Amino acid sequence: MKLTVNGAVTGVDADPDEPAVRTLRDGLGLTGTKLVCGTGVCGACTVQVDGVPRASCITPTAALADREITTVEGLGGEHPVQRAFAAHDAMQCGYCTPGFVVEAAAFVDGWRVEHGDTEPSREQIAAAMAGHLCRCGAYQGIYAAIAAACAGRHDEPAEPARVDAAAKVTGAARYTTDVRLPGQLEGVIIRSPHAHARVDAIEANGVPLVDLRPADGVVRYAGQPVAAVAAADHAAATAAAARVEVSYTPLAAVTEFGSALAEGAPLVYDTEESRKSALSSAEGANLPGRWQGNLHTTSGLPLPGGGTAERRIERARRRGDQRLVSAVYTTAVQVHSALEPHASVARFDDAGHLHLYISTQRVSAVADAAAERWKLPREQVHVVAEHVGGGFGAKANLTADAVAAVELARLTGSPVRVVLDRAEELTDGGSRPGSRTELSLLADERGRLAALTVDAQGDGGASTGSSVGLMARLMYGTAPRRIRDSDVLTNLPPGAPFRAPNGPQLAWALEQAVDEMAHRLGEDPISLRRRWDGNPKRRALYETAAALPLWTGRPATGSAAGRFRRGVGVAAGNWLYMASPKTQVELTVERGTVVARSATQDLGTGLRTVIANVVREELGLPADRVRVEIGSSDHVPGPPSIGSRSTTSVGPAAHDAAVRLRTALREGAGTAGREAPVAALLDGADGLRVTGRRARDRGGYLLPFSVADAAIGRGMSGAVHVTEVEVDTLLGSVRVTRVWGGLAIGRVYAQGPARNQAEGAIIQGVGYALFEQRRADPATGVLLTDNLEDYHLPGIGDTPEMEIHFHPDGWEYVTGGGVGLGEVSAVGVAASVGNAVYNATGWRPLDLPIRPDRLLEGINR
Amino acid sequence: MSTTAPTSLDGVAEALASGGRPRAGGTDLTVLHRLGLARGPYVDLGGVAALGGVGWRADGSARIGATTPIAEIAADERLRAAYPALTATAAALATPQVRAAATLGGNLLQRNRCSYLRNPHFSCHQSGGTGCPARTGVHANGVAVDQGPCVAPHPSSLAMALVGYGATAETRARGTLAVADLYGDGSDPTRDHLLPEGEVLLAVDLPVPEPGERAAYRRATARTAAEWPLVEAVARLVVTDGRVRAAGVAAGGVARTPLRLTEVEQALIGRPADAAVLAAAAALAAERCRPLPQTGYKVGLLRDTVRDVLERAAEQG
Repeated sequence: MKLTVNGAVTGVDADPDEPAVRTLRDGLGLTGTKLVCGTGVCGACTVQVDGVPRASCITPTAALADREITTVEGLGGEHPVQRAFAAHDAMQCGYCTPGFVVEAAAFVDGWRVEHGDTEPSREQIAAAMAGHLCRCGAYQGIYAAIAAACAGRHDEPAEPARVDAAAKVTGAARYTTDVRLPGQLEGVIIRSPHAHARVDAIEANGVPLVDLRPADGVVRYAGQPVAAVAAADHAAATAAAARVEVSYTPLAAVTEFGSALAEGAPLVYDTEESRKSALSSAEGANLPGRWQGNLHTTSGLPLPGGGTAERRIERARRRGDQRLVSAVYTTAVQVHSALEPHASVARFDDAGHLHLYISTQRVSAVADAAAERWKLPREQVHVVAEHVGGGFGAKANLTADAVAAVELARLTGSPVRVVLDRAEELTDGGSRPGSRTELSLLADERGRLAALTVDAQGDGGASTGSSVGLMARLMYGTAPRRIRDSDVLTNLPPGAPFRAPNGPQLAWALEQAVDEMAHRLGEDPISLRRRWDGNPKRRALYETAAALPLWTGRPATGSAAGRFRRGVGVAAGNWLYMASPKTQVELTVERGTVVARSATQDLGTGLRTVIANVVREELGLPADRVRVEIGSSDHVPGPPSIGSRSTTSVGPAAHDAAVRLRTALREGAGTAGREAPVAALLDGADGLRVTGRRARDRGGYLLPFSVADAAIGRGMSGAVHVTEVEVDTLLGSVRVTRVWGGLAIGRVYAQGPARNQAEGAIIQGVGYALFEQRRADPATGVLLTDNLEDYHLPGIGDTPEMEIHFHPDGWEYVTGGGVGLGEVSAVGVAASVGNAVYNATGWRPLDLPIRPDRLLEGINR
Repeated sequence: MSTTAPTSLDGVAEALASGGRPRAGGTDLTVLHRLGLARGPYVDLGGVAALGGVGWRADGSARIGATTPIAEIAADERLRAAYPALTATAAALATPQVRAAATLGGNLLQRNRCSYLRNPHFSCHQSGGTGCPARTGVHANGVAVDQGPCVAPHPSSLAMALVGYGATAETRARGTLAVADLYGDGSDPTRDHLLPEGEVLLAVDLPVPEPGERAAYRRATARTAAEWPLVEAVARLVVTDGRVRAAGVAAGGVARTPLRLTEVEQALIGRPADAAVLAAAAALAAERCRPLPQTGYKVGLLRDTVRDVLERAAEQG
């Protein structure tokens, strides 16, 4: 059929009933248009049809006939909305950006015709963008960008807030899902329909197939990979997968957290062998522990004073002490759902080298793992992740998509791409384990913390590795405490590390308990934390927070009347500071430009911008004289984007490299060059190359050794969130209206992206607090929330007004003076929402998410 | 036979007679097709001019063609003046992109959103199987008025609003019938509307507008937008000298069919439009509920959503 796309008439061989997004991407190669949800919910596939935005995943290709189609590529790059998105940093990973931009372009153009160059309200922008989702949570920048573009403030080019903004707003940024290699086949993973079964046989029936069965041949959740097949395109691969016969012997399954510990419950892992190789939601190796049926209790380091804590709490309980706060708090399973799904494209070249394009947070570690798994010399493995559409912790390993792609490429001799669809991503793409935490907190007669006990059970499906209680060891001084962590195993998809693993689960319990204690003691919750919390950096944040009008103007708890009730809550966050000591950044002068390289990646955090900023600042160079090339394992060693350690590792290495480059340039230029600006010396220095390293922190790290280049540094990073909500007591909804986020992370390397990431943590926390909940069918263990209509991500209309405050002091001993913020900024948000709901209603929510039905039941009880 | 795009009603009838399936905006059919829950060949209705647009009769009443996009209904000034409950509902459902593409007819005749129906691992009454896995499984979004074997609430917000107007539908073979009769009593678990295959919805006819009608629509959701309602309700009131002269109240999200709440209307007509009367009338909505184990919360939520729309409708003017 003939289509008019971006002003040109093109012929394309397309099925008129296929979603238009497939025709545009696969048929015409217009990969700026992204396919994410497939159900018209997220808007990443938005194109204009005769000027009207349409979700192309729910538009049959037939509907494009005789229409003018405009994709993001057709906007050119100079549309005021594109400039505004770049200037206001209205993006992180960038995967949703083309869809937002295409919709916003139509909105802004229409607005200016109708209203002139004026600013629409937040509500008007939210209504116009209601069909879009940004998992990173860059909504604050999106509001600002659209308002400014409507007001006519971006009719001229402006400096972008991040160096890859232009690529992201034009659709030029290439993600793994966009990779097209000559002769590339499409791979599809065959997954178990059973929650628990033994795979007896796989009959390929002539289809090229690789076996992905677990070592013991037992699948332990519905959706677990069993095999993978490849064919010329997606439709053919799906048809090939249907020809494969897998025979299973179904085993009894346990699909509910609540019944996994019942007597006679089927065992998820029933042999010593299977327990040793159990799946894990933790980074790295399995945590050692003790098994009793489906209960796995982690053997943590025992704490001195554990017995004292237990005895004090038991005695307080017996005497009915009001200063004992004791409750059970639960959190739901939260799914990562990065908008770019897990995706891999593998190719073996004629020399036997493996080229693996993969949506990953760890190009280096994935290359190491691939070399080991397929017994290749490390230098023959080349891992590429040019742009990464979000990860949040779930894209750190050689996941099933990668294994399938590599093995199918080896089997077929052709490049093979494997991209998870949204149902697969929401099922097997990673999740934050749920939790059930019984927490008791006792204050003495002078209001000091006297004892703390935590009994936490992780709800990570078929994975162990939950350690919710860990952070309770490291906060609120040294009062006696007893912490116990365990996992309750079920036949449900396993967890994965998720931005501050275990942090929000613990904060939901601990920070609400501290709030409750303040209430019992008749003390201001910030003032109580100031007394209890020994962390000097966080104490500085408490000072600032206590003086906020938002805080001083908060209502007395339960004093609000009427249908809509306002409340304000506070919560603290605590996190480890980690770094990658082996990080290097290499600078090369190429045709007058400084090119920075490191084997790291940018999944939306702004790492490219961090490197560019440091080099530009140190050398006094304009933007067009510095280029950053990351996302390749072939570069000098760089950090993974996990553990909040990429910026604090790369920043100092880039600085060191810049200093070395200036020295080398000046040496090369002799006496004449001693005073010359660096820019003037670049033209004569083609090929000059230096390597910068991250110097050791003053005083070294907490531990003298590091595992997998992860050094645990000295000192904890801190956060404080002050959150305002409005509760509709009639219909049960909670709106988070304002949030102040204070972060004690020292130097901020890139203001825009740092602020953006901290705001995104708030958005994700709002989702965690109010909307996000994975649900499974109890009879089969099949997930019902395997689509974005049933799994609820926060939208732009759910975005509070946010203010981010960076406290600069306290990290002077750290090389570069700044630490990571990705995780600490995410820890306490949901707890602050819980405390705000309590302040508004007098009812304390113990279970996440705070759904309307739970709220209504709670306040009407 | 492949997908066709006839330009006349006769052409549509011919294509349907040879086994085609009508497609309007395709916003849901494209998803169902991908999931294997719908199969072509499709008969695209967009080319039939007679099926689209808003027309007005001499008596001031409107006729809305089946393929009129929802966004067009929401933005039509004259419709907004005459039928504010309809346009308020149209403006609030789904997202701008869906409203731009989806049509009145498609909205009225769409499939429900039960996650079991749309998951290929399950079969149920609606997908040719027997039984309802949601009834024994997760049905927290299910019905609170248990009318029959299937527990999925009717998905059409516009159907609810039109039932609240007592609107009629015109179909090609059957002629005129009440919009409510498109759905029956909810006891048939196999489908979401009762039109036979091959039938075409042509238009919806609204009654003569009530001068002075005040209206309000509400969908109770957790998020601010883009979410299927837990409960939704719409109210139309004509208040003269402080008394309710006419009322139309309907609710969705609680039953297999859109519900007109005549008991609530009866309790309002002739009474003062004050808070006590509105609350007492809204409370009657709860009486017809027979919730499932996980939908008990919808009983109170239905009552309070109805109360919300009654209060907001009464406040206007």
